[in-house]
Amino acid sequence: MGYPHKPHPRETVVLSEHFGAAEARSLDGWKTRGGYQALQQALGMEPTAIQQVVKDSGLRGRGGAGFPTGLKWSFMKLGDGKPHYLCCNADESEPGTFKDREIMRWTPHALIEGCAIGAYAIGAEDCYIYIRGEFTEPLEVMERACAEARAAGVTGPNAMGSGKTVNVWVHKGAGAYICGEETALMNSLEGKRGNPRIKPPFPAVAGLFGMPTTINNVETLAAVPHILNKGAEWYKKLSRPDNPKSTGTKLWSVCGNITRPGNYEVQMGFPFGEFLQDLCGGAPNGRKIKAVIPGGSSVPIITWEEAESALMDYEGMVAANTMLGSAGCIVIDDAQSMPKVIARLARFYAHESCAQCTQCREGTAWTTKILERIVAGDGTAEDFDTLLSIADNMTGKTICVLSDSCATPVVSGLQRWKHEFEALITRTTIHAVPALVG
Amino acid sequence: MSHGPSASGGAALKGGHHGSGDPHVPVFTGETRTKLDDLVTRYPNKQAALLPALWMLQDARGWVSEEGMAEVAQMLDLTPAYVQGVVTFYTMYHQHPVGKYFIQVCTTSPCGVCGAEDVVKAFLDKTGCGELGVTSPDGKFTVIEVECLGACGFATPVMVNADFLESVTPETVPDVLKRYG
Amino acid sequence: MADTPKVNLTIEGRPISVPPGTNLIEAAKQAGVLIPHYCYHPGLPVAGVCRMCLVEVEKAPKLAPACATAVAEGQVVHVHSEKARDARKGVLEMLLINHPLDCPICDQSGECELQDYTYQEGRADSRYREPKRFNPVEDFGGDVLYVPNRCILCTRCVRFMGDVAHDEVLNVSERGDRAFIGKFEGKDLTHAWAANVVDLCPVGALLSKDFLNKARAWELDRTASVCTGCSQGCNIIVETRDNVVMRFRPRSNESVNQFFMCDEGRLGYREFNRPTRLEVPSILGPKGHEAVDWDVALEAAARLLRGKRAYVVASPDTSNETLHLLGRLMRKSNGVGLYRVPQGPEAPLPGAPDLALRVDRAANGRGAEALGFTRSDTPFSGLKAGDALILVDQDVTGADLAAVGQASAVIVLASWMPAGLPRAEVVLPIATTVEEEGTLTNLRGRVQRFMQAKAAPGLARPSWFVASDLLGATGESAAYFTAGDVFAAMSAAHEAFAGLSYDTLGMRGLPIAGAMAGATA
Repeated sequence: MGYPHKPHPRETVVLSEHFGAAEARSLDGWKTRGGYQALQQALGMEPTAIQQVVKDSGLRGRGGAGFPTGLKWSFMKLGDGKPHYLCCNADESEPGTFKDREIMRWTPHALIEGCAIGAYAIGAEDCYIYIRGEFTEPLEVMERACAEARAAGVTGPNAMGSGKTVNVWVHKGAGAYICGEETALMNSLEGKRGNPRIKPPFPAVAGLFGMPTTINNVETLAAVPHILNKGAEWYKKLSRPDNPKSTGTKLWSVCGNITRPGNYEVQMGFPFGEFLQDLCGGAPNGRKIKAVIPGGSSVPIITWEEAESALMDYEGMVAANTMLGSAGCIVIDDAQSMPKVIARLARFYAHESCAQCTQCREGTAWTTKILERIVAGDGTAEDFDTLLSIADNMTGKTICVLSDSCATPVVSGLQRWKHEFEALITRTTIHAVPALVG
Repeated sequence: MSHGPSASGGAALKGGHHGSGDPHVPVFTGETRTKLDDLVTRYPNKQAALLPALWMLQDARGWVSEEGMAEVAQMLDLTPAYVQGVVTFYTMYHQHPVGKYFIQVCTTSPCGVCGAEDVVKAFLDKTGCGELGVTSPDGKFTVIEVECLGACGFATPVMVNADFLESVTPETVPDVLKRYG
Repeated sequence: MADTPKVNLTIEGRPISVPPGTNLIEAAKQAGVLIPHYCYHPGLPVAGVCRMCLVEVEKAPKLAPACATAVAEGQVVHVHSEKARDARKGVLEMLLINHPLDCPICDQSGECELQDYTYQEGRADSRYREPKRFNPVEDFGGDVLYVPNRCILCTRCVRFMGDVAHDEVLNVSERGDRAFIGKFEGKDLTHAWAANVVDLCPVGALLSKDFLNKARAWELDRTASVCTGCSQGCNIIVETRDNVVMRFRPRSNESVNQFFMCDEGRLGYREFNRPTRLEVPSILGPKGHEAVDWDVALEAAARLLRGKRAYVVASPDTSNETLHLLGRLMRKSNGVGLYRVPQGPEAPLPGAPDLALRVDRAANGRGAEALGFTRSDTPFSGLKAGDALILVDQDVTGADLAAVGQASAVIVLASWMPAGLPRAEVVLPIATTVEEEGTLTNLRGRVQRFMQAKAAPGLARPSWFVASDLLGATGESAAYFTAGDVFAAMSAAHEAFAGLSYDTLGMRGLPIAGAMAGATA
C-alpha cells in the first residue's frame, strides 16, 4: 500500500521512503537521512560529468513527455556567457496526478537538493520552483525548507562552501492548469498570462527571460540525488532488465473508484493488472473496474482488459494503446457513466484553455457543450460524427497539446464505449438554437 | 463585460463589476513595500514579480480590485490593462469581493466519480449560499466548483481560503463548517 | 543585400529564392501564393495563434504555421493540399461557431477576411447546434468601437498597442471561450495612432466610429494618394463614394509609414468634403465678382501680372508640379515665393522607425524649399507696394491686412475662397489634392505621387493645369498635357529632381538628390 498507507512489500521505495515522516522535512532531519551528500559531491564535479551520470542512469522526465533528462541537460550550452535558468515544474495539475505534492510535503529537501544539482549541472545560478497556487501546504513547506537551506549555506552564494552560487526560489502560481506546460510556465514566471510559446526557439536556446533554460518535473529532480549517491547502474537495476528504455522507479498516483487510493512507488515495468488489484485493492464495494486512465486525464482511456496485461513503463503503456504520461491513474468502475466522465473531463479542458489557438479555444468548449447535451438526453446520432471531426481538428494543429488532450478522452471513449453514448440518444433531430445577433 | 453561454463558465463569480465602492487604500507601503522590493531582486526584471505582487494585494484586501491592479501596475512599471490581462487569466485572483470563507470544491472527473457533486450540494445547502458563486446572506461563505486540486487520491479535496482539506464527504461537511463558524 | 546567400525552396510547385529567416507567408507572397492568415501581420510580432496559416511541409510530421516557420533549403511547401485545406476548413468552422453571422449589418462586410476565406475554402454549413456566446458592444474610446461577438482573438490590436504604439491599453482578458479583448476602465484608445487597430482587425470586431454605418465596402472607389496632414507623407488610400471622400486608410510603404497612419491624418479626409467650393473662374467687376470663362479669367490675370513683380504665397500642400510652374512665374518677374507652415505637437509611433505625426502640418514644405520658395511665418511682410500677389490655397487670416492691401492686384488660385481676404481681382478655382495628380516631397526628401481620386466640382481645374495656363497667358511656353509632363520639365530644370520621373517614382516614391543618405523616410 502506498502513501497515505504503509508501503506494500512489492513497492520499490526510493523517493517515497520518507513520506509521512515529519522530521524528514527539516534540514537536519534530511541530513541524518543522507541528504545533501549528493549535492556536496556534485559541486566538486564537472557539470558535464553530472550530465553523463544522469544520462547513464536512463532517467526520463516524469512530468509526462518522458524525455531523457541527461540529454535535455546537455542541450544547455555551457560557458556561453549568458545566465542560465532551471525551472522546476511543480504545477502538478493533471487530473489524477498528486505525486509531486507528496514529494514536496514530505521531502522538500530532496527536491531542493535535486534542483541545486540540476542547476549546477546546466550552468544555472538560479532555480525557480513553480508551485501551483492551490498547493498551500507544499508551498509553505517548500518556502520554509528553501529559507532553511539558504540560511545554512547549503544553497545561495558559496553553496556548501564550494564557491559556487546556486539559488533556489519558490514561485507561487495562481490557478491555471496550462502553466504546467513548460513554455507557459516560463511566461507565467515572467509575470505574463500563462500562454504556451511557439517552438522553436526551444527553452534550451531562449527560455525564461529569453535565456537558456531547462524545465524539469519535481519527481525527475528528486530522483537525481539518489542517482548521484548510488550510481547510474544501481538506478537502472531498480527496474526490469528487459526494458532498458524505462529505468528506475516510478511514483503512481491512483485515484477514482479504487479501494486504496494513494501514491505507490514501483519499479518501471511493474504489471499493471496486479498493481491495480493487489496493491490498490481493485474497485471498491465489489464492483468491477471498467476503465482506466493510466497517465493523467490527457492520455487515452483504456478498458480493464487492455489495462490488465499492460506493463507500467513508457513502452508498456504505448503497447496498451495509451501512455504513461504523468502516471496519474484514474480508475473508473462499472457504476459510472462514461459519457458523464468524459463530458466532465472536456469541461476541464474548456475551462483551462488559454484562448490562444482557435481550435482549442472554440473546440474544447464546443466539445463540452455537445457532450453535456448528450448527457442531458438531448443528443443525436450525428453528434458522434461531429465530435470525432472536431477532435480531429483539435489534434496536432495547435501551439501546445491541451487541445489534443481534450480530444483524446473523447476519441478513446467513443471508440470503446459508444454503446453508452448511444443509450443516451432518445431523439433523431435537434432543434437548432437561433443565433443571438448583436 | 458580461458573458453569455459558455461551456465552462459554471464557476464564474456573480458580482458587481466595480466592487465595493470604497476608495482604494494603497497596499504597497511600509513592510509590504519592503517585502515586494526584496522579492523583485530574485528576478532579472520587475515584471516577474507580478504574480507574487498580486498575491500580496489579495492577501491584504481579500480580492483584486481595478484600483489594486493600477497600484500593482505602478509598482512594477506595467500598464493597468496589462495587469488586468494577467489577473483575469488566473482563477485564484478574485475579481470581486467574496465571502469571509471562500470554499472551493474539486469536481473534476477523478473526484466526480467519487461523489464530489454531493459534496458541493452539501456545502451549498449548509452554508445557505444556495447557488455557486453567490455569497451567503451573512457574508460568510462563497462556494465554487474548482478544477482539479491535485489531490485526487484524497477525494474530495476542498479548499477553505488557504486551508487544504482532504477526503471531505457530504457527511463531514457540517463538521468542516463548524471550524469556520 | 545581394551578397547574402538565398534559401531555395518550392511553394505550390513554384521554385523561389528568398533571404534566410523569411517566414513561409512572406516567401509565398513572393511566389505569388497567398497563404490565408488572420493573426499574422508583417508590421507586428508573430503570435501564431489563429492557426489559419497551417501548410503542409514535406517531411515534417505535422502541419506547420506558415507565419512562424522559417524557410529552409530544399523545403517543399503545399498550401492547397487536402490536409492543409482540411485544417483551415476546421479553423474557419471554429471561428464561426460563436460568430453572429451578421454580415448584412456589419461595416466590415465586403472587406472581411472571415468572409473571404470562408467563401474561398470554408464549409457551406455549420454543424454548431448550441447557443452562441454573447458579449455587449463596448466603446474603446478614440475612434474605436469593439464588437466582441465578431472577434476572433487574433490579438493584432493588442500587439499593435503594446509593441508598436507602446501604449499597452488593450489586453486579452479571461481565457478559453470566455476570452475577449479587454480595456482597462478609464484608459481609452486615445493614442495618436490608435485607430490603426481598426485597419489591423481582419474582421468586424474593431470599427471606426466615424465611418460607422456610412458606406458599404463595395460601394467605395479606392485611389492611391499621400496624406497632406503633415510632412511625414504617409501613403494612403482615398476611398470615395459618389464623389464624396468617405475615409482615408494607410497604404503600406516600408520607407515611409510601414502600414500605418495617424488618427489626425486619417480624419483629415473631412477637409476635402467642405462645402462652398470655388467652382467657376471669376473676376472682380464693378458689381463685384463675375463668373467668366477660363480664357477671360486667365487673360485678366496675365494683364494684372504684366510689369509687376509676382509675389507668390503658396500653401505648402501644393504639389511640386504646380510650385515649379509658379516658380517660373516668379523668376520671370524677379518675384518671390513664400510659404508658411502651420505647426502642431509631434506624435511619434515609437515602434516604427522614423514615423511620426510631424510638427510641420504640411505635406510639401521640403518640395517648396527645393523649388526656390522661402519659408516664413509672416509671408506677407515682404510684400512691396505694386507687387502682384498670387495666393495659392493660402488664407490670410491673422496676416497684416495693410501689407496685403499694398498689392497692385490679388490673384487667387484656390479650392475655397481664402478666409480673411479683403479683395481679389481674379479667382481661379483649382482642384484639391484628392482631385488631381501630382507629387509631394516629404520631410526626408522623398518624392511621392498622388493620384486623382474624385472629380473636381464645376469648372475647377488641376492646379498644375491652371498654373501652366497662367504661365502661357503671360507669353511663356508652357504646353503641358499631363502632370507627368510638368514633372519631366521640373526634373530637367531642377538639380534636386534630376533623374526622377513618374515611371521611376512608382507608387512608393524616391528620394530627391541630396536627401539625407540612407534616410528611411
